[in-house]
Amino acid sequence: MASSRDDFIIAIRSAFLKKSTQQKFSLLSLILTSAFIILLSSFEFKVIRYLKIGINEIVYRSSFVVSIPENFIKNTFFEVSEYTTFFNNYKKDKKELNQLKSNYVSSQIIQSENRELKELINDYVSSSDKILAKIIVDHESPFLKSIIINKGSKDNIKIGTNIYDQSYLVGRVTEVNYKTARVLLLSDLNSNVPVTIAPQNIQAIITGDGDNQGQIKYIKDGFSDEITQESIIYTSGTGAIFKSGIPIGRLSILQDNLTSKFNVEFYSDFTQLKYVFADVITKTEIQNFDNNDSELNDLDNTPMNAKLKILEDELKIIEDTNLKFKEENEILKSEINNLESEIIDFKNKIFLQKEKINQFDIDEKELNFLRLNLEYGHKCRKSFFNNKGFVVGTSEYKQCVLNKGRINNG
Amino acid sequence: MVNLKTKSSFLRLYSWLPIIILFISVLNEFDFNYLNLEYFSFNFPYILIFYFTLKDFKHFDYFLVFIAGLVNDTVVGLPLGLSSFLYILICIATSYLRNITIRPHPIKDWFYFLFIISLINSISYSVLTLFFSYNIILIDYLINNFFTFLFYLVFVYLFKQYLRGLND
Repeated sequence: MASSRDDFIIAIRSAFLKKSTQQKFSLLSLILTSAFIILLSSFEFKVIRYLKIGINEIVYRSSFVVSIPENFIKNTFFEVSEYTTFFNNYKKDKKELNQLKSNYVSSQIIQSENRELKELINDYVSSSDKILAKIIVDHESPFLKSIIINKGSKDNIKIGTNIYDQSYLVGRVTEVNYKTARVLLLSDLNSNVPVTIAPQNIQAIITGDGDNQGQIKYIKDGFSDEITQESIIYTSGTGAIFKSGIPIGRLSILQDNLTSKFNVEFYSDFTQLKYVFADVITKTEIQNFDNNDSELNDLDNTPMNAKLKILEDELKIIEDTNLKFKEENEILKSEINNLESEIIDFKNKIFLQKEKINQFDIDEKELNFLRLNLEYGHKCRKSFFNNKGFVVGTSEYKQCVLNKGRINNG
Repeated sequence: MVNLKTKSSFLRLYSWLPIIILFISVLNEFDFNYLNLEYFSFNFPYILIFYFTLKDFKHFDYFLVFIAGLVNDTVVGLPLGLSSFLYILICIATSYLRNITIRPHPIKDWFYFLFIISLINSISYSVLTLFFSYNIILIDYLINNFFTFLFYLVFVYLFKQYLRGLND
């Protein structure tokens, strides 16, 4: 018994401490170093943070370079499959583009109003600037859903910066390095987003399901019955982590026997992201105005300029709207002209058809008269034997024939 | 002469291939996860480290394995040092197995591999959930564990071919 325990201890000691000829470090020293690093990284020391940023910069770039062949194969495959549906997508996109163009102007107006109202509520003007970022690492980990972008603190990216695919939200920044940043996707289990479910206007919190979908994590009791299939989900802005009104996805309800599960189908396909937009926000404090005329007249005053800019923007939007209305007006006018010419054509057609119908009626009456004339003409014709009759061709004669030979005296 | 030099450098590169593949796999997450097959994932570095440390392959340096762990943490977004810790644990386990084994058997190694990856995945899950408050689905870990276990035999066959090629 004691011997087997000794063997075990010897084997363990040997495993930990014995270095073979090629090894530079013993396993014990390496495992202690790893444990030490885990401990330090959990305490978030400044030195460790900078060291981590340095490692991240190098590793992300290396990972990007190493992934080039794999990404090339992957992208080629996707491109080939895209070409097969290219034409259908083109037609669909064209239709959507027209629709979006018309929505764009109204959206601009709402944005301008929104900005103005926000300015009234807060004491700062927040101007956002979307910068394009390339995804340099997007490895699909089975446990964590995140991507690395090629923009970092150098480009004013901060922890919490919202990341978009077109205008759809895809996640937020959780780690910032000098030239790179890690984005936690909405599909990650650790992502929690306060949302509003439209059109019911229900507040909820969604989280990722670890796959490529989301699910409703929290909703107030009783409200779940009001939710319908295909409801639209957008950020509510609660907690000021995400901006409000950013579209996220659509709701799909999965009915089990007793319970129903609320899934969120994201508008954006996180597996196909190549470029994203980072919403860099700069806040400008609004200073309190004194009633000093000289200050009011100062053109360098930032809030004043901001207001002027807003007014200029509004003016621009109004001009755009007018232009659009004018264009629409022109289109409608040309449509009216077309319709009028069509009406004239139709009228002509109707007139011709009426004429034809009249001619047909006349012919039919003539035919009927001739037929009756053959049969009853001898009764109406004035002759030696029939002095009550009429002269052929007179209207009385015609009437008599049509009355099948009966002579009206009255 | 030039031909001999080229051959020698190729041989050197070939002998360092496992560690190069380890670094490529941690930088590139070589595990077919992008195929988006539901419930499918496996951990290639575990297989590679287990096999080559068990064989005490001379170019498979523990320090480089440690560095590979740090790289993996950075790429995946895990707390720094965790993967290194797990990789070195595999090295310790294989070193222990080498010490106690007189006559190696592939099937015994295979089941020992299952035990080891289950242990380190449990440690990983516990550390991430208890100390770092990560939300992780346990079933994903179990499936990853299972497929890693299954793929071991496939890769062992390939690695054997590689070693045979190196000896030739």
